[in-house]
Amino acid sequence: MTLPTTIEEALPVGGVAAEAVAALAAATVIGTFVMLNTALAGPWAKRKITAAFTDRISVNQFGPLGVGIVVPDAVRLVSKELIVPEGADRPAWDLAPLVLVFSALFAFAVIPMGNGVHLADPAVGLVFVFAIASVASLGLVMAGYASNNKYAFLGGLRAVAQNLAYEIPLILIGISVVLYTGSLQMSEIVATQRETLVSLGPLSVPGWFAIVNPFAFVLFLVANVAEVGRNPFDVPEAPTEIVAGYQTEYSSVYFVLIYLGEFVHIFLGGAIIATIFLGGPAGPVLPGIVWFLLKIWAMFLFTQWLRSAVPRVRIDQLIEIGWKRLLVLAFVNLFATATVVGVLAA
Amino acid sequence: MSEWTAIGALAVVALAIPGSMMVVSWLLRPSVPEQGKRATYESGEVPTGSSYGLRFNIQYYMIALLFLVFDVETIFIIPWTVVFEDAVGELGFLRAFAPMVVFLGLLVFGLAWAWRNGAVEWVRDTTAQREVTDRTEL
Repeated sequence: MTLPTTIEEALPVGGVAAEAVAALAAATVIGTFVMLNTALAGPWAKRKITAAFTDRISVNQFGPLGVGIVVPDAVRLVSKELIVPEGADRPAWDLAPLVLVFSALFAFAVIPMGNGVHLADPAVGLVFVFAIASVASLGLVMAGYASNNKYAFLGGLRAVAQNLAYEIPLILIGISVVLYTGSLQMSEIVATQRETLVSLGPLSVPGWFAIVNPFAFVLFLVANVAEVGRNPFDVPEAPTEIVAGYQTEYSSVYFVLIYLGEFVHIFLGGAIIATIFLGGPAGPVLPGIVWFLLKIWAMFLFTQWLRSAVPRVRIDQLIEIGWKRLLVLAFVNLFATATVVGVLAA
Repeated sequence: MSEWTAIGALAVVALAIPGSMMVVSWLLRPSVPEQGKRATYESGEVPTGSSYGLRFNIQYYMIALLFLVFDVETIFIIPWTVVFEDAVGELGFLRAFAPMVVFLGLLVFGLAWAWRNGAVEWVRDTTAQREVTDRTEL
């Protein structure tokens, strides 16, 4: 049962008004949940993780382990002066941060988070996620073009080239999972993974698609890192080459929104991986939502680990890896999976 | 309750969250208008010209063109993956698999052609290369 239905049944009244209230309340819960994770990740966890990797001290003055830094940091960032660059293409320049945040937050609508925290479960769930998440490219183009800055322009172009190159492998690998499930519905994909793959005495290994098809899992991890634009594929921002890419001219709340959009996108990537490869909210002992949180935070840690450990690739290498390696491997994976599924089903 | 009511509600919330942040910032932030600081950043130099007429690498067009083909193709693959297992049971493996092999085979052939003709090769700036050779001659 999805979250809006649960809330609607708990309400004393029925009808269209109750439905609307329940839907909005459930959506607010999901939105707040995602925002809380992001607020913790951006100003605090990212600093802590980078400090641990580079053997330095980071935020530690305010609250336990310095976690209180989230509040003053939010106030500091939001109360900065907004500087509009000369000759900026106004409506587009203002809308770009909105589009980035919107696309990343909106895609969480169909992600099952366990314990009934699941906003909606349409039959086209997986396609919905990929479709909405890729709207972010539009925001990146807008930000890059409308800033009237050469670095921003180059960053915007690179961001598009990268998203185009890695979108196809990402979807091709993602839908190889659908060959097993025969459904795009998120709840169905999670349910299929609950079945036991092999029993080793008292231990039963679940049929998570990361275990069933580790080849696809590794490919998807790589494509996902490129899709969310993190190291080693962070050429659109590349601080050593083009300042900060498409976000060069953004300050104040717009800067916060662009950063927020990126972090929500990292968590969205983690949520997609958790859902289609790691059994969604499934796991022993602990409740489902805790497992879901553990999985998306593990994916966040993974991106931050790469950030500290792997050097950036060049733009020409990035295009080559995308079109010549990953796309070919994605086709190989799709054919191989179809053959295995077909032979087993026949 | 319809699934899409809830999804629509999240669309509203996903706009309201950044929207409310913009309103809060608008209430809090100072405004000290001054022409100098509005200049676009060009490594501290006085910016020359605008970015709107900037020439850029033709490669970005080639990639976008290639993307269009493959993006449309994924739309056709998705329904096939959904019905594949049932289709194998009904028609047998070969009749469910072979049409997609032909379809994807044509696309992979297209990719190989584009690859051979250098569409996914990064085009180098010819003027930059000439400067390098000139310098070696000196």
